[in-house]
Amino acid sequence: MNERNERIHGVACTFRKASDVYHAAEKVRDAGWKQWDVHTPFPIHGMDQAMGLPRSPVPRLTLLGGLTGFVTGCLLTWYTNSFDYPIVVGGKPFWSVIFPFPVLYECTILFAAFGTFFGQFIFNRLPRHHHPLFDHPQFARVSDDTFMIVLEATDPNFHVDESRNFLQSLGGQEITIVRD
Amino acid sequence: MSATPASLPAHWKKFLFAGLAALAVVWFFAFQAATHGDHRGPLSVILGALFWVATLIGLLMLTMITRVFDAGWAPVIRRTWELALPALPIVLLLSVVPMAFIPKFRHLLWEWTNAEHLLPSGHAVGHDPILQAKSWFLNEGFFLARIAYYVVFFAVLVWALRRGSFAQDTDRTAGHTHRLHAISAAGIPLAAVSLTMLAFDCLMALSYHWFSTMYGVWFFALSIRLALAFTVIATYRLSNGGWLDGILNQAHRHVLGCLMLAFTVFWAYISFSQYFLIYTANIPEETFWYNIREFDPVTGAKNQWWGVSLYLIFGFFLLPFLSLLFYRTKIVAGRLLAVASIIFVGGLVDLWFNAVPRQINAAGTPEGFVVSPFLTSYLAVDVLAVLGFGALVVAVLLRAAGRHETIPVHDPRILESINYHE
Repeated sequence: MNERNERIHGVACTFRKASDVYHAAEKVRDAGWKQWDVHTPFPIHGMDQAMGLPRSPVPRLTLLGGLTGFVTGCLLTWYTNSFDYPIVVGGKPFWSVIFPFPVLYECTILFAAFGTFFGQFIFNRLPRHHHPLFDHPQFARVSDDTFMIVLEATDPNFHVDESRNFLQSLGGQEITIVRD
Repeated sequence: MSATPASLPAHWKKFLFAGLAALAVVWFFAFQAATHGDHRGPLSVILGALFWVATLIGLLMLTMITRVFDAGWAPVIRRTWELALPALPIVLLLSVVPMAFIPKFRHLLWEWTNAEHLLPSGHAVGHDPILQAKSWFLNEGFFLARIAYYVVFFAVLVWALRRGSFAQDTDRTAGHTHRLHAISAAGIPLAAVSLTMLAFDCLMALSYHWFSTMYGVWFFALSIRLALAFTVIATYRLSNGGWLDGILNQAHRHVLGCLMLAFTVFWAYISFSQYFLIYTANIPEETFWYNIREFDPVTGAKNQWWGVSLYLIFGFFLLPFLSLLFYRTKIVAGRLLAVASIIFVGGLVDLWFNAVPRQINAAGTPEGFVVSPFLTSYLAVDVLAVLGFGALVVAVLLRAAGRHETIPVHDPRILESINYHE
């Protein structure tokens, strides 16, 4: 990456039709791009595959959160009822997996939800208060009647002129450089 | 593909004869056992039948639920459910109905119907104050009327749901979809009450002292789990050389997998809650039911049912639950089929756990009774009964498939269903 590119966020290009942007996305995917995105006014079925996106990693943090919650619930009920202040309730054992089970699964669910909630923040790199695309004059239209592909400068494939030509070859309409 | 999609329905008679042959053997053992005063033979008929009654009630509920929610994915799969549904009243007529209406079988299976039957305490059932207090519900006349009602109710509901759906194939009117929506909305609460009562009568009343207000919900959860497992297994076969070849896609498997995960959790939630409340309240009329499923009443040593209970926790809940958490289990056909098979087998184990253990009079023992064991040669008869009734269900499904469209070609949502997307 040269010095000049560091001040460039990427190259943006608009499309007029959903099918155009869909097929263009397939070609960007096949060219081996990793740091790029497609912006559309509505969800397009099959876009994930057309972009070659992998499954979200968030469920892993959900599972991790759930396991943490289960262990936390076990420790909480064991520490309070059996270790710190052992007390007989209803003739039941000080600790078993049965009586505190509602606590265990509620903790599992709570921590799994935390894992999901904070996991998506981590993987989406949020919170973030500004994005270079917000300064793009055409960007507001991708929530109305325009589709957009943005090739980002952080991708090893990126080179300002070549990337512009590449987008042109995909049938892009308005091609602009987005500055950081 | 070896077989063309059209060739499958031609095999329905083979399944019919295989099923009837298997059931003849099962009924022979039931008669043999009954003449010796053994309830376990007749119980095999009930177990095999209830496995499929639960599956078919699950299919019936799924049919109505997907109608009420206008589920876009459902139409292509729902037609296969509708084809199988007439088996529900047929299985009831060949099992629960004769068992309840023939006094010899009724008195063996439902001990409270025989006032002279002696309890382990030495008293006759008719003098049991607990039964007397329940006799407004547990009396022979009302019991038989309810059994007859289940057959009629489910037959009428199945008829109504199928009639509109098949009529749409020829007259192409969307109005059927609206009418079936209304029938389903009314049918769900009625079927919920009926399946609860059926679970009370056919399973809970086998041990009349015990009661659980969650029993109907447990039976519903089991029914849906079995129905989804049946759907996965059937659609796997039907999409490999059957009428769903080239129609069933990854998104359909994903939605079935998600539902299997949801109802695996729901079943565990209900089964555990029932145990948890009885464990916490610690009332003898309730706890004995779990006690005989855990240990020997005299020595306190764990009995065979302890192992069955653990299988339910680890094999019927934890294994399917952990497997189905993974996305790929829900979309890879072979893996989903494997989990569905585990659930199918587990459903039978759950029925064994619920129906088989009972206190059998044994003079000379300290408690006056022994708990019927899990491992007996009747397990083979149970499995034969499941296979026999299963062959009948498949025969009904294939026969109907040869007489009707195998997907609802003029359902307003047929394209949405065929092109269903995750």
